[in-house]
Amino acid sequence: MTATIHTSVPAGTSPPAPARASGRKRVGLGEKAIPYLLLAPAVVVMLVLLGWPAIQVVGISFRKLDLGELVRGELVWVGLGNYSEVLADPEFWTITVRTVLFTASVVAGTVLAGLFIALLMRHLAGPVRVFVQITLVLAWATPILATTTVFQWIFDQQYGILNKTLVALGLDSFRGYSWFSSGTSTLAVIGILVLWQAVPFVCFTIYAGLLQAPKELYEAAAMDGASPWQTFATVSWPSIRPLVTLVTFLSVIWDFKVFAQVWAIRQGGPDGESTTLPVLLYLRGIADRSFGVASAIAVLMILVLLVLTARYLQLLLRTREGDVS
Amino acid sequence: MKKTRGQTVALNTAGMLVALLFAFPTYWLLTSAFKPSTDMLTPAYDLIPRSLTLDNFGSAWEQPGFLTHLTNSVIVTVGAVALSLVAGVLAAFPLARLRFRGRKGFLLLVLVAQMAPMEALFIPMFLLMQDAGLLNKLPSLLLVYFAITLPFTVWTLRGFVQGIPYELEEAAMVDGLSRFGAFRKVVLPLLGPGIVATSVFAFITAWNEFLYAFVFMRDKDKQTLPVWLSSFRTVFGTDWGGIMAASVMYSLPALVFFLIVQRKLVSGATAGALKG
Repeated sequence: MTATIHTSVPAGTSPPAPARASGRKRVGLGEKAIPYLLLAPAVVVMLVLLGWPAIQVVGISFRKLDLGELVRGELVWVGLGNYSEVLADPEFWTITVRTVLFTASVVAGTVLAGLFIALLMRHLAGPVRVFVQITLVLAWATPILATTTVFQWIFDQQYGILNKTLVALGLDSFRGYSWFSSGTSTLAVIGILVLWQAVPFVCFTIYAGLLQAPKELYEAAAMDGASPWQTFATVSWPSIRPLVTLVTFLSVIWDFKVFAQVWAIRQGGPDGESTTLPVLLYLRGIADRSFGVASAIAVLMILVLLVLTARYLQLLLRTREGDVS
Repeated sequence: MKKTRGQTVALNTAGMLVALLFAFPTYWLLTSAFKPSTDMLTPAYDLIPRSLTLDNFGSAWEQPGFLTHLTNSVIVTVGAVALSLVAGVLAAFPLARLRFRGRKGFLLLVLVAQMAPMEALFIPMFLLMQDAGLLNKLPSLLLVYFAITLPFTVWTLRGFVQGIPYELEEAAMVDGLSRFGAFRKVVLPLLGPGIVATSVFAFITAWNEFLYAFVFMRDKDKQTLPVWLSSFRTVFGTDWGGIMAASVMYSLPALVFFLIVQRKLVSGATAGALKG
């Protein structure tokens, strides 16, 4: 979940007037083909490796496609059969609700923590601020799976430093306490892990917005004797509100799809109690080889995600229209 | 805003607490990697290591397979980044500099592709690779990482090309260079920083990727480092020092590259993403 892929535009580029035909009047047929030739590799890759699977997942979701059909190369259409099977399964609903709750908690925690640290950072002495920033960058840059392994070590039942610390603080009941014995507790640990990796991006983004707020406004607020809360509400918040919206939606998109951490910690256990939708998708699709049913789950997953982020996509497309010129 | 002395101390203390909280896992990863194994599995409470050793790195390095998994990760990541860059530069040039039919349509395609929920597409992708006979082979992963990193690479490189004044190319063409000669001799060298930043983003994405590596590479010796690390219990047992050392080695390239472009990450991720 490196926070870079989705919205990046390099800093400080102002799109100049787009294409210019450089004053040439006659353009030969060969020359006309040049842009298309240059774009061809990118187009082919995106259509074959992104477009085709996106169409396929919908197609397969209407088929019965288990190992048998796959081996025999059969095409068995079942209409909405897979969907009714999935939707009639109470387990699917439990997992969907669990995934949405997990996403909501992690997103709320991430954005609030990021906002709090960003606001705090403005008031820190220089060296303390640099120290905070360095630790955040390290947390951000460490690969997901490396962080996951160290969290497992910290939360280890027998020799984990967390239990040792709690015991040292006099909480003797934590001696040999297992953090992974229930689904809720397992998901809580996974949530903290995801949050720890996600806060830096959120925090730096909001902090960058805070720095944009005009200094004079803060001075004016101080002269008028505004309380810290009033200053926040009238000066800081307007300058960061769009950014907070942005990082909230991005976090929803990322946290909803988390697979690596959930899988690496307990493979959705104990007893399937920490299974989220992406894990269910893996289990049905790859482990059980029920490709049709799994594709229906994938389509439903995309639909849930679309519902959760509809407002954001609308805003994004509207603002990006200007860029597509 | 005047703050009392008390407030200043309180705020900075809070800042230090936040920093320590965020530093701790990193600190624990590092110190555990250097702790002798005899100090790991004891009930003793030692936040500061009593002694340091490099043994864990040796034992992680000598794990059967570490080198294989490292090589796999390097091949798919570097391969995907290289392909992405070539296709990205080729596409960025006409998108930023030429006028032609279908340009808008292509840009829209890139935007949509950038938002593709890859985590929901691995079933058809798995079947596609199976049909192509590429499962359990590194090219399958390399191709998927190429596809995942490409939209973003095209979009970003186009922005960087647009940032280079067109007048420079014009001047070169007046001096007798062809359209592409001008691009190659004038724009490409100036594109250096953009290419570095873009490839680092792509590198980190591919280096981190777990799901597709996990789904495609069922053979042990084809696994990439993150997948291998996720199954450490079967490899290392309770040798936590070895796991931590392996994790440190896996993290190093990402950390180094990340620091190179750290500043751009923040501004790049937000610039123009959403206004109002």
